[in-house]
Amino acid sequence: MTVKTYAEAVVDALTGMLKADPNFHIIGRGILGHGGHEHHAHALQHDFADRFTDPPTSEGATASMGIGAAMAGCRMFVHLGTGSFSLEAFNQLINEAGVAHSMSGGQVRVPVIFHMYHGLRGGGSGQHSLSPQAMFANNAGLKVMQPTCPRDVKGMLRAAIKGNTPVIWVDHAALLGQKGEVPDEDYEIPLGKADVKREGKDVSIVASSRAVLWSLAAADLLAKDGISAEVVDIRSVVPLDEDTITASIRKTGRLVTVDESIQMCSVGSEIAALAAEKAQAQLKAPVARIARAAVPVPFSPPLEKAISPKPEMIAAAAKRLVG
Amino acid sequence: MASQPTTAERISLLERMLMMRRFEEEVLRVAQTHAYVGRQHLHIGHEATGAAVASVLTPEDLFHTTHRNHGYLIARGADPGRALAEIMGRKDGLNGGRGGPWHLCDREAGFQSTSAMVGGSVGLAIGAAFAMKKQKKKAIGVAHFGDGTLDEGICFEAFNMASIFELPVLFLCENNAKEGQRPSSMLAAKALRDLPAALQIETVVVDGRDADDVRAAATDAVARIRTTGKPVFLQAQLERWPGSHQLKPEFPTGVTDLTLAWEEGRIEGKHADWTRAHDGIRLYAKKLVAEKATSKEEILALDRKVIARIEAARAFAEASPFPAPSTATDLAFA
Repeated sequence: MTVKTYAEAVVDALTGMLKADPNFHIIGRGILGHGGHEHHAHALQHDFADRFTDPPTSEGATASMGIGAAMAGCRMFVHLGTGSFSLEAFNQLINEAGVAHSMSGGQVRVPVIFHMYHGLRGGGSGQHSLSPQAMFANNAGLKVMQPTCPRDVKGMLRAAIKGNTPVIWVDHAALLGQKGEVPDEDYEIPLGKADVKREGKDVSIVASSRAVLWSLAAADLLAKDGISAEVVDIRSVVPLDEDTITASIRKTGRLVTVDESIQMCSVGSEIAALAAEKAQAQLKAPVARIARAAVPVPFSPPLEKAISPKPEMIAAAAKRLVG
Repeated sequence: MASQPTTAERISLLERMLMMRRFEEEVLRVAQTHAYVGRQHLHIGHEATGAAVASVLTPEDLFHTTHRNHGYLIARGADPGRALAEIMGRKDGLNGGRGGPWHLCDREAGFQSTSAMVGGSVGLAIGAAFAMKKQKKKAIGVAHFGDGTLDEGICFEAFNMASIFELPVLFLCENNAKEGQRPSSMLAAKALRDLPAALQIETVVVDGRDADDVRAAATDAVARIRTTGKPVFLQAQLERWPGSHQLKPEFPTGVTDLTLAWEEGRIEGKHADWTRAHDGIRLYAKKLVAEKATSKEEILALDRKVIARIEAARAFAEASPFPAPSTATDLAFA
């Protein structure tokens, strides 16, 4: 075990697979964003220069090249920049990568990871802040991953690269500096497994990506008031680990969902529906959903802050449910 | 320059063209006689181009085609029975009934995925070429598409990436644009080749009606792609078949009558000009007879053999059951 940042854990996973599989290629520049973590990838890009392709600003063809290469036997990691930019390749992701395996009757496999950074990031404004996880989840044939901590991202990324399915990897730039213990060896965490990040008995806070950090902070606030909150990190939007999530809701009888999607048809809405379908009998209070306000993201810092979910907001919602 | 084809190669080319034509005619009959949900985007009139290009590829070359794909599947050796079964949505179809007429795919025949998104084949084929290059294979990627595809932005992006990354890919554009008719290319650039040429891609324009010409041009183009690793844009000039965009299954030019190859006086009707001047199969049969490469009788015998194979394919497809509803949600993930 070594304490590493999330960014270093991403590099660990990519390095492991570049060494293990000569058919693994990376397309994209700025895979670790532009916020001070880029240097962690420099050695990798130097040591495996022939495995990195720096594409022009052409998200559609970049995604297509990854898809076509994957069909032809490569394993591909395609970085698309922000979640907002992924819409430039939405057609390729949904209509090509997502459907190819099924539409070909199982003849074709598309092992590609489409990597992007979602969410509020400070100054992203209306065209660099999209959280598209729910939009991607509302399709067939694509897995959607949202890890939160260094240990998880290393193991899940390795599993995703070794898999045979297109994966939408919705990262958050604000997670890149998060530190945590990471096993030194290569390991895999199966896709589709949620993780209880903090155990509790009074209320379940079910979240993904950066919202897990807000939820853990909210749990600290709640503890001061004597409320024991359980924080479930779903880690994977598709497939959704219904068993782990439902077990937690049944245990606590209360649910707060948190994610950065716009609330309408959000990931949180899906989890609320799951509670209604499978844990109705155990619910002691209505479900509360915390999401980003439904407005194009404003630039000015106080305005951006105002529309973001926050620990205080989550804690207040949980308190209302506990009563 | 490409070597002259042998007589056997030319007969084989004609046979391939006849397979493509008779297959599409069978698709029309199926559409007329079955409760059929699909739409016909037939490859009729493109056979000289399709058969000739297919004849110069190896089975390892990775081909991406479009909604107008049937001809290429047949030309590259896909089983016509399984192809027809797929068009009819049957269990034994190439895609198990999950793709339908727009998406015929046969991995063993060198097809990766057949996209009906206009421009899909262009983007995917550069990926196939990327893989061949990275894996240091001699195979190439091929993107087949029509002239209207060049209206899509993905073409610009993909041409550019093929050019700057030097990807071994053949961009095969079948230009059947007919002035005054929609849909087809609406580019401000009047010469289609100007687009790839602006991105430093070598371009070749060939008469798509003449199987020998296309074969020669495609042989040279593919050889250059394999040698240099760089893309080539091959544009085949074709005249659109009058049934190209039909809503109802019809034979506007009639069921193909090969005797019209040498009995031109009998060509008549509203679309006589297409049959006389633009039907690559009729023109090739006429040429082979005129050059004494083969005889009328041998051509008609070849055609009967092809028709028998297609009839057998129809019987196979009709005997195939529909997939079980319980399998509808299979294969969401690999």
